[in-house]
Formats: sequence, structure tokens, C-alpha cells
Amino acid sequence: MSSMKHDDTSVPEYWRSLDELADSDDFRTFVENEFPASADQMLTPASRRNFLKLMGASMALAGMTACRWPSEEILPFSERPEGFVPGTPRHFATAMQISGVASGVVVSSYDGRPVKIEGNELHPDSLGSTGLLAQASLLELYDPDRSDHVCRKGTDGVETSEWAAFDAFADEHFAAQAANGGRELRVLAGADGSPTLQRMRRHFAERFPAAAWVEYEAISRDNIRQGGRLAFGRDLRPHWALDHASVIVSFDDDFLAQHPNAVRYARDFVAGRKTDDDHHDAFNRLYVVEGCHTMTGSVADRRIPVDTHSIAAYVGCVAAHLFLEAGLQLPAGVGSLRQTLEGFRSHALYASIDASLIVDLMAHRGASLLAVGPGQPAEIHALVGVLNMALGNIGKTLTFTAESDANRPHHVDAIAGLVEEMQSGQVDTLVILEGNPLYDAPADLNFASALEKVGTVIRAGRYVDETSAVADWHLPLAHYLETWGDARGYRGTYSVTQPLIDPLRNGRSAIEILATLVGEATGGYDAVKSTFAQQIGDEAWRGALHDGLVRDSELATTQPGQLADGWVSSLSSFATAAEAGYRVVFLTDARVRDGRFANNGWLQEVPDSVTKLTWDNAALVGVATAKAIGVKHGQMLRVEHGGHSLELPVYILPGQAPETIGVALGYGRRHGGQIATDAGFDAYPLRTREAMAWAAVQVQPMAGSFKLATTQNHWAIDPIGTDTTEERVPILVHEIDIKDLHGGHDDHGEGGGGHGSHEVNLWQPHEYEGYKWGMTIDLNDCTGCNVCIVACQSENNIPVVGRDEVIRGREMHWIRVDRYFQGDADAPSISFQPVTCHHCENAPCEQVCPVAATVHDAEGLNVMVYNRCIGTRYCANNCPYKVRRFNYFNNHLDQSPMETMIYNPQVSKRSRGVMEKCTFCTQRIAAAKITAGNEDRKIRDGEVVPACAQACPTRAITFGDLNDEGSRVLAKQKDPRAYAMLEELNVRPRLRYLSRVRNPGHSEAGHGAGEA
Amino acid sequence: MASITAGQRDPLDNTHDVPGERAPLIIGHDYASVTDAVCGLAERTTASKAWWLAFGFSASLTGMLFAMVGYLIWTGIGVWGVNAPVGWGFAIINFVFWVGIGHAGTLISAILFLLRQNWRTSINRFAEAMTIFAVICAGLFPGIHVGRVWLAYWMFPIPNQMSMWPNFRSPLLWDVFAVSTYFTVSALFWYVGMIPDLATLRDRATGKVRQVIYGALAQGWRGSNRHWQNYERVYLILAALATPLVLSVHSVVSFDFAASIIPGWHTTIFPPYFVAGAVFCGFAMVVLLAVPVRAMFGLKSVITMRHLDNMNKIILATSLMVGYAYSVEFFVAWYSANPYEYFAFMNRAMGNYAWGYWIMVSCNVLAPQVFWFKRMRTSPIGMVIVAILVNIGMWFERFVIVVISLSRDFLPSSWGKYIPTWVDILTLIGSFGLFFTLFLLFIRFVPIVAVSEVKGVMQQPRKGREAEA
Repeated sequence: MSSMKHDDTSVPEYWRSLDELADSDDFRTFVENEFPASADQMLTPASRRNFLKLMGASMALAGMTACRWPSEEILPFSERPEGFVPGTPRHFATAMQISGVASGVVVSSYDGRPVKIEGNELHPDSLGSTGLLAQASLLELYDPDRSDHVCRKGTDGVETSEWAAFDAFADEHFAAQAANGGRELRVLAGADGSPTLQRMRRHFAERFPAAAWVEYEAISRDNIRQGGRLAFGRDLRPHWALDHASVIVSFDDDFLAQHPNAVRYARDFVAGRKTDDDHHDAFNRLYVVEGCHTMTGSVADRRIPVDTHSIAAYVGCVAAHLFLEAGLQLPAGVGSLRQTLEGFRSHALYASIDASLIVDLMAHRGASLLAVGPGQPAEIHALVGVLNMALGNIGKTLTFTAESDANRPHHVDAIAGLVEEMQSGQVDTLVILEGNPLYDAPADLNFASALEKVGTVIRAGRYVDETSAVADWHLPLAHYLETWGDARGYRGTYSVTQPLIDPLRNGRSAIEILATLVGEATGGYDAVKSTFAQQIGDEAWRGALHDGLVRDSELATTQPGQLADGWVSSLSSFATAAEAGYRVVFLTDARVRDGRFANNGWLQEVPDSVTKLTWDNAALVGVATAKAIGVKHGQMLRVEHGGHSLELPVYILPGQAPETIGVALGYGRRHGGQIATDAGFDAYPLRTREAMAWAAVQVQPMAGSFKLATTQNHWAIDPIGTDTTEERVPILVHEIDIKDLHGGHDDHGEGGGGHGSHEVNLWQPHEYEGYKWGMTIDLNDCTGCNVCIVACQSENNIPVVGRDEVIRGREMHWIRVDRYFQGDADAPSISFQPVTCHHCENAPCEQVCPVAATVHDAEGLNVMVYNRCIGTRYCANNCPYKVRRFNYFNNHLDQSPMETMIYNPQVSKRSRGVMEKCTFCTQRIAAAKITAGNEDRKIRDGEVVPACAQACPTRAITFGDLNDEGSRVLAKQKDPRAYAMLEELNVRPRLRYLSRVRNPGHSEAGHGAGEA
Repeated sequence: MASITAGQRDPLDNTHDVPGERAPLIIGHDYASVTDAVCGLAERTTASKAWWLAFGFSASLTGMLFAMVGYLIWTGIGVWGVNAPVGWGFAIINFVFWVGIGHAGTLISAILFLLRQNWRTSINRFAEAMTIFAVICAGLFPGIHVGRVWLAYWMFPIPNQMSMWPNFRSPLLWDVFAVSTYFTVSALFWYVGMIPDLATLRDRATGKVRQVIYGALAQGWRGSNRHWQNYERVYLILAALATPLVLSVHSVVSFDFAASIIPGWHTTIFPPYFVAGAVFCGFAMVVLLAVPVRAMFGLKSVITMRHLDNMNKIILATSLMVGYAYSVEFFVAWYSANPYEYFAFMNRAMGNYAWGYWIMVSCNVLAPQVFWFKRMRTSPIGMVIVAILVNIGMWFERFVIVVISLSRDFLPSSWGKYIPTWVDILTLIGSFGLFFTLFLLFIRFVPIVAVSEVKGVMQQPRKGREAEA
């Protein structure tokens, strides 16, 4: 080594072209034009310093560890940190916030890479489960489309910039703003429940006393808040005890999918539908009155299709029935209601009100619950508040907490006020924290033109989207797994959000950006920690980081207060029948929501619960409506409202209320990533301040058609197919009426039961001596939310294939949720059935594989040996459940190193030409075996939880050892409701279903709920 | 093309049975002229323009086939239209189709040989060649239809360091054995039968190249008694070996379907039904090839109208068998009272792909009925049209079985559709290119009629009178 000499002249310089070697002026200008941001770097010859910098960066990427530590720099390991074993997952509890409401999650991290998100069992709003968006948020972390640098609008177009440049600009700019008290400064932000952010807002208000903070959410729940304000005189957040409600009535409220607390409510809802002996007296009944099909409507015992805009009148009629006819006592304070309700007697809907609904509500006072969707007017929310009070539900099934930020204006009014100020030139600086008003603000406000009158627009967002594209500054916002933060759950549970990885895309959190605005130099960690110290106390900090939440930090419930009746008179406007005509109802898509999650491939490809549509939205119309308009499935339809029109394909959905056209928001993005801009049709141009929930439209069928990518019914079904489907559904999906379940005869339904042994074997079946894995799926618990699909996709490295491949029928999901319609095309009932590999003991796939690539293991798992598979696809053909998925292409091609960081290292990526399918999460079984083996014991019941079962909000999926006498899965397999699908094929599946129980009651009055 | 004019008997028409007289199998030939007529074809120094045209066209199609296969292997099976639930598409349809075509040759050579059907001699050589080429086309598809072509050899029981054997329970494996055995025996049978004729070509060859090549191929055949004795014995043994193969290969191919559990596949009638269908389309293909060949190469007197007539009768008979199978399938579907089975067949006739089913029925069952009329059996144009229809129909039969059954099986949620892509279609067309390329090379360089065998069934020449006969 000592002999090594460095002679400067002999070190070769690397050059990329002859021009560069010559270092001509031409080349310099070329580089500057081509790479303005990095012209400097490229023109400096490679130096030892630069080399070390680059190496350091790549080492940092390679060795990035779970950064629970506040330190900002990341160093490669020269010594292994204590307690860290490379290749073993570590779990961190944190929280994900959507529109200001947090749910607790636990993130598994391998060597510093977060690879799986699961629910936090300690979190009362999660109970160990997650929603779709939390599962899929991982993909966003590694999304290469997320913006990765500060941009500023220069003289000719958008230039890339640096945080340092923004910081320098902000120091100066906001100091100038502060000089006049922030008179011309406005902040537009989404709902955010972060205590630190709220603390920073107070600092903001101190520095800029004349500035205003405007909150806007395109999908707003402010009507609920407003309703509480009308009825009770204060801003209240309602909380339900669904497990204690015997009769639940939803008026256009898709609470199982759209409620901020949907995960917890789904669990509570099915808790009220248990059939075991301890519970069966309290089997609840769900009524859903809705215009467009929702998940909640699908699991209803009685679904009543009513046009969305007539639901207000329907509620009025129900109230009239209850107060005027059934003799329900009017609560004090709203005496004038009786008079107003008289007006509903003449409404066309009055006579059609389901009599059993009234009877049930009267019979279950104090054990019922009425809910209204956030799209319905505030007066209706107030009316339902009165009904809940009159029915004695308040304090029993319904409690309240005080809303923070009380008396803030309704989101729509807030943004309208802001636009007015902008138009009149009162706004010099507008800071937009998240939100995407250029895309989702009410169309009649014309936000874009108002924005032109604003001097400086600073936008912080995760993507360069519609709004960032026109902003003067775009600041990359970090993902919640990258930064420190805090949040509160729906009930107020305090969570600290901790980073698992350094910002991959150079982003900062909203807290950090706001700190810059108010001139504080605190980092996210310090800000969060000091908020925590103030609100909770320093000593709980470590515990909160460990648990992901502060235990028992839910907000105290409050009494709703005295009823007021100032709003009652305006109810009468709903008593007159609405004008006939087509209406577009703006639906909230469970996947993209207001559009902010549109660039997420997992979400785009997971099918809608009811339509099974992926990658696009469509105009959902009922069978009769489609006939009346004269459109076919997939044909383009033009809808027009307020001078704006939209052309989108028609999806004919049985059970949509007449004249109702459902269109999901959040699609048809113009900027914001490759995936987002390719998906669907933008409905926001039809949405105005007066028509935030639905809009009266003119419709016109167009000539063109569009290929919709659905994962079921890949094409229009002919009569013979429809008839056969209808015959088969009861055989495949067993459903029982609650009265038959406990009626004493256990022979339920056609082809049902099946718990007698009809097996005929020509040979001695294999004995499983060790473990014998099995699964049950309780159809009674399944709400069709699809979270199992995304959880599985995340756990098992399942690729996204894209719209065209879905159209071809090549989606890769290992678990799917089949959806069947039954009955009348105008008001069908819907059945969901999750289907995954059944791990048949007598598996038809195994016999036909010529190379023995799919075989049975000693524990009864049907295992797929990817290395051995040559891809004949014979196994998939011979699978009666059609759960096998084939890699038609290399689905992992052209991925950047960052994208590949998402893969679970415990699961092989499959190459092209290979078959794959559900493994019952064999990697989790293997991991549990190692743990159990080290402790010299067998795996305990519940120790192995497959990803689908783990994520399931209702715990519909049970997995375990069938050789374990005490296992829950064995108990469930022995349940009288248990059956095997296609049992007659004698494939002997290890997966058994438990029939769904319906509680429709009887139409004749006098048969109340729970009587069974 | 030969035509029949009413009233006047065509001298080449030997389809009329005269009581007490055996219809001649070969018309107007003596030993020398037969040799000249057949060997002359292989000895022409320049090929006709028509041959070059046809060869150029087929060779381009073959080139396209290999381009498609290359594209497929480079990109992945996704370039085809297959999906879930229809995991098998054109590739398997084409495989079964070509294997089916490959039936007639060995049937004609082996079974008709054992049954002493002397009329086979005029057509067996090119029927066998057709068989081999069809099996080559067929063999291509199972190879390329797997997802990882480079590992397709794992289907063969090759001893390896992993001690991994193929799964002997899988019908696909049986297929591998059945088709490879069939190909080997057919090729051997074809070649052994050709040795005396190759020797003739060698003896007649004028150039050195031809002498060496034909000489090597003739393996020193001198026509001695001992040669003839050994030859006949081997030929008989091979015929005996090939005969069960004719029945077994398509039975085994049918097991791919019959041994599965998919409604519409899981049917015990498949083995005989497949064999009958294979003979049916195989003969149609022989007719399709024989008619132009005998016209273009002046072999009408060797491959006589009576040969064609006989083959058309077999087509008619097998058409009835196939038609019977179609109807029995429906009967059993109803009689079984199995709702899945019943639906599978109702769906064939009335579902989304009903057009495919009715193409199959009209081509396979209705079209050949015209062969009840002798006029149609002896009309070259008529029989070519029917033969084409039969081949279309039989291709659709496999389409019906493979695609329609898979597209709708047990769970309605998983029902799907199959739409072929341009790669699928060009590959199918390309496989015809390969077949015809091989066939054109065959008629150019190899005696297309088994001269030595034909001589065996000709009338014994009388001494010194041959010239006048």
C-alpha cells in the first residue's frame, strides 16, 4: 500500500463524449440547457470529495435503518446497533391520518424499509384492523411520481429549486407579511387533527393576527356538524355504539365504507350480528335507505332504494310516521316540529314508508340508531338528531364529543369566502397545505381564475398536481411514515406519528413547513415532543411511541344540550316532491376518495365493492334508467349541469334508484402522477356550491363507447348466463334467515348444511399428524370492503397489472371478493363472498401439473413451487375456484430501486411464466414455527394470522390449526352454519364458509326485530 | 381438375363397380411407367413456377410463425389472449387440431395395411408425410405454450441432480409420451416404407449429389430376397406397433380434458370421440392435399377417383360418429342431472360462444352429408370444399371444447371471455405455413407415392405383353 502513488496528471478523467472532453463552450451551454438543476455537478470533474458524497448517499440508501431517532443524519453501520438483527422485521406503532382523523397502525420494517402496514390492536379505532387506505398508503411511500424537490415558477416555466432557496425566500417574504399582521396572507388547508399543527396555528395567529386559516375538504362531513349546531346549538361529533343497537337505520350513510371510524364501526356492527348462543337474542337489523349502491346497503337486511335527493323527504316521512301516528313523544324544545311534519303526510313517499321500520323503531327505543349521510342537508341531520333523542338513543347508542375548532365556517362557505377575497385582490400570499383546490373546489367558484389574482401561491403537496402546477412555489410534502407528527383518532385518541425512514423524496411535514412560516426553526421532532409535553406529559413519551398512542386519551363525552327549533321551518322545503329529472349523485370512492389517493396502483386496481370496477369511474345507472335514457353498458353518456358537461361511460348497476346517476369523485386527474392522470373521468366540473351532493343534469347518450375494466362479469352476461348465475348463487353462497337458524331444524337451504360426511374415498385419506392448517370465512361478517385484497397484495408482493390487463382478465389478486346480485333487478340483494385458495386436500391442481410444481405439504397446505413451475396453466384451468394467477408478463420490469424497496423480503417475487396463488401466508407460518421452536412448544392458536385475516375489520377470516382441539378455526368449522363451497366435487377444501344470516323480519306489522 | 361429363365414362373413372370384376386400383400404368411418373417428379432439375410460388408463400408464413414464436418467448405468454379463467387458447387448440390431422397417415398406413386394404398404397406415402408434418406442427405448440419455454424439458423424465421426476399423474405428461412415441413410430414407419423407393431414386440418379444423398438414405438397399424379407417383416411389426398408437395418441390427448374436473371436459366419451374426430379431419386433409397433387403432377391414374371416393366414404362415416358424439354429450349432460354439466352444454349451444358451436356442427355434421351422393364424392371441387369445411369445423370443435368450457365453469364470478390477439391468429396461420412448406419440400424431393407398394398391387405383367397392355 505504501508504494501507491498519486500522481495528479496520471489520474484518468472520465468523460461522456468528445465534446465534454474538449469542454467546449457549446457543451457547457448544452448541459446548462439540458440539466439546469445539476449543471454545476456535471461540469465539475469528478473529485474525490464528490465521489465520497455519492458513495455516502448510496450507503445511506442501502443501510437506512428504522430511524426512530430524532437525529437527521444517517450513517452506514460500522457497528451493529444494539438489538438490531439484520433481516428480521421490527414493528413500529404509528398512526395514519386521513382528513384529520387518525387510525393506529403498526408498521413492519425490514432493515429500515417499511414493508407492511397493519392495524394497531391497542388503538380503539383500529382494534388491530385497517382500512383500505391505510393498507395502500405504503405504496405511496415508494411512489416514484411523488415530487422530490422544491419547484418555483420562474420566468420561463417551472424550475427546480432547493429547500434552502425556499427557506431564504420564506424568511424574507413572511417577515414582510408579518409586518402588516398578515392582512393579505391566507392559508388553505385540509382538515388536520394534529395537536402540534393546531399549536403551530396558534403561533401562526400570533405572528399574523390578521391572516386567516381556511379549512376545506372536498368530501366534507360538515353537514353533520352543521346539523348538530342547528339542533343542539353546538358543534358535536357523534359516536355510535353499534354493538348495542338492535335496529340501525342508515339514510344514505355508507358508514361501513366512508365513515372516518369505519374500521371500528364495522367491528361493532358485526358484533351485533353474532349467532352463537350468547348473542343470538340481540341480532341487529339494518335498514338502509339509499339511492346508489353502497357497501352498507349491500349488507343491509332491508335495502330501500330511494333517489338520493328524496331521502330528505323520506326522513321527514319517517319522522312524521313516528311522531304523528306511532305516538312517539316529541322532545322538549322542538314543539313546532309537529306542525312542519304534517306537511309530509301529503308527500308521495309517505304511504310507501316501510311499516316494519316504524314498528321496529318504536319497539327498540333506546336500542336503535339512525344515521344520515354527510351529503344530506344539515336540517335532516338536525331532524335525525331529534329522532334519536326522542327514541331514547342518546347516551345509549349515541354519544357526543365536542368538535375542535368550534364554529368554524362550513367548508363550502369557507372556500367561497376565500375565493371572494382572492377575486377582489385582498390576498397577496396564499399558502395551500395539502388539498387540491384547483381540482376539487366547487366549479362555480372558478378557483383557477381567482388564483391568478394572488401574488404568491405556495403549495405544499405530495405530488405536483393541478394546484402545484400553477403555484409559484411547490414544496414536497413528506409521507406520514417519513416524518414526525401527531394526530387524534375519531374519538380523540392521541397518537404520535413516528418516522420509519428518512424522507425518500426530500419532503417536509406540514408541521415543519408551518414552522418555517411562523419563523420558528424547530424540527418536526422537537415540535411534536414539546406539544406532547404540554398536553400529555414528558414521562409518557416513550410509552406513547411504543404503543403508538396514549392510552385512555379519548375525549370525554358531552351532553348534546338543549334542542332548538329555529331550523324546523326550513324542513318544509323537503315536504314537496322534488322535480322529476335526472340527477348526478357525487359518490365518494372508497379508494381514491376526493382524488388524493388516485396515484396509488393498489387502490386503482382493487375493485369497487359493488361494481367491481377498477381503474375508472363510470356513470352508474339502474336498469330501468338506462333503458329510459337509451344507453347500453359501456356507452358514453353526456351529462350537463350549470354549463359544464362531462362525458363518461355508463355502468348499468341493478338496484340504483330511478333517475339517479352515481358518479364517483376523485378520477380524471389532470396532473399528479402517471396513474392518477390515466384513470377515469373528472366529475368535479359538475359540482357547484349549491350542488355538492347531487346535481340536476341533462343527459344525452353519445355514440362512442368505453371499455370498463371490471374484475367480475368481464363481459355482458347473456340470458342463459344470468339465469344460471341466479340458480347457482344460493348453492355457492349460503344465506339463512335468522328465524330458520334458531328454528330447530338444522337442515338449512338447498345444498346447505353439508356437515354430514358425503365423502367417498377410494383410498385411505392422508393423516395429518402435526399441524393441519385450515381457514373459515364468516360470510355473516364480511362487509365486502376489499381490505383483505390490498393487505394480501402488500404482504405477498403481488404486482399491479393495469387497466388493459384487467380487461383481459389477468388481475393478480390472490384473494378476491365475489359479488352476486339476487332477486329483482330494481331492488336486488347483494352477497359478498371472499374467495382465496381453498387448499383442497384432494387438490385438482396438483394432479394435473406435469412437473409437480404444485404439491401438498405435510400440514395440508397446497404449496406452489415457483422455481419448479414451467407455466402450463393446467392447474389454473382445473381449479374449480379459479384462484390461481399466472404471470403473463414480467410484472416487475422497469422498476426503480426505490420501488423495489416495498417488497416483503420473506416472499419471493415471481418471474414471468410462473403460476402463483394464495399460500395461507406460509411465510408467517414459518416465522411462527421458528419462534415456537425456539421456545420448544407448538404454535398457539391465533399466533399465525394471514395478512387478509389480520387486516379484516370484522375478523371474518379465522385461521388456525384444525388438529388443535381448542382452536377457534376448528370451532368455526364445526359451526352449524359452516359449509364448503362445491363440496360435491370431493376436493375437500380446508377453507369453509359460514353462511350469512339475514334478519329481514316480516312485512306485517307486529313482527319486530330481535323476535327470532 | 378432372371433371365428370355425364353420359361419357371418364377413362380415369374407376368408381363404377362392375359385378364380377375388381375395379383397377391403378389405371393404365405398367411398372416402368409408374416408376417414371413418380420418380420423375422428384428428379426434375427445376421446379415449376407454381411450386416456387407456393413454396415462397408458405416459407414466408413459416418465417412469420417463427417471428411470432420469437416475440412470444421474448415477451411472455401475455401476448396471447389467454387469461383467467381461459388458461389455454389457440396454442392448445392448434395442438389438438394438428395432432388430429396427423391421424389419417398412420391409420392409412398401419391399420389399412393390417386389414389388407390394398387401395391404401397410392395414398399412404403422402398421407404419412402429412402425418409427420402435422405432428411437427402439433409438437411445436405444447413447447411454446408453457410460460417458461426454456424449462420445458422438465416435462421429460431426465435424471437430474435434484432427483425431481415429472408428475406421472398429469395427463400433460402422458401427452408428452404419447405424442413423442407417435411421432417416432410414424417417422420410422414412413422412412422404412420409403427405403425401396429411395433406392430406386438412387439408382436412377444422374448427379453425384443425388446419388450420395439417396444412397445414404437407401442404406444399401439392393432389393435382394433377404432384403425384401426383412423389410416386410419390419414393416409388419411397425404396422402392428403403430396401430394401437393411432388409437392411443388421441385418446391420451383427450385425457388432458377428460381427466380434469371442468364441466365440458370431464367426459368419458372423449377418447373414442377424439379418435373419430381425428380420423375424420385427417382424411379430410388427405383429400384436400390429394386432389391438387394428383391434378398438378399427373397422378390421376395412380391416385384414382376410386381412392378419393373411398376416403370420402370414410369422412362421411366418421362425420356420423362425431355427430353421434355431439348428441350423446347433450343426452348425458341432461341425463346426469348434474347442473354444472348441463349448463356447460347448454352454454355451448346458446351462450356467448354459440356461434363457434354452430360453426362446428354445420361443418362437421351437416357439410359431409353431401357425400351420400356419389356425384359429390367424385367431384374434386365438391370434395375440396367439404374437406376445407371439415377442417374448419374440427378446428372449431377444439375451440368449443377448450375455450367455451373454460370460459364458464363453476363459479359465475370467475366467468370470463377469451379473445385471441393478433399473435394468436398469425401463429395459427404460420403453422399452416410450416405444414405446407414441409409438404412442398416433400413433393419436390421424395417419391410421393409408394412405388414399390403400388407395384405390389398392380396386375402382374405378362411376359412380353406389357407394352401392349
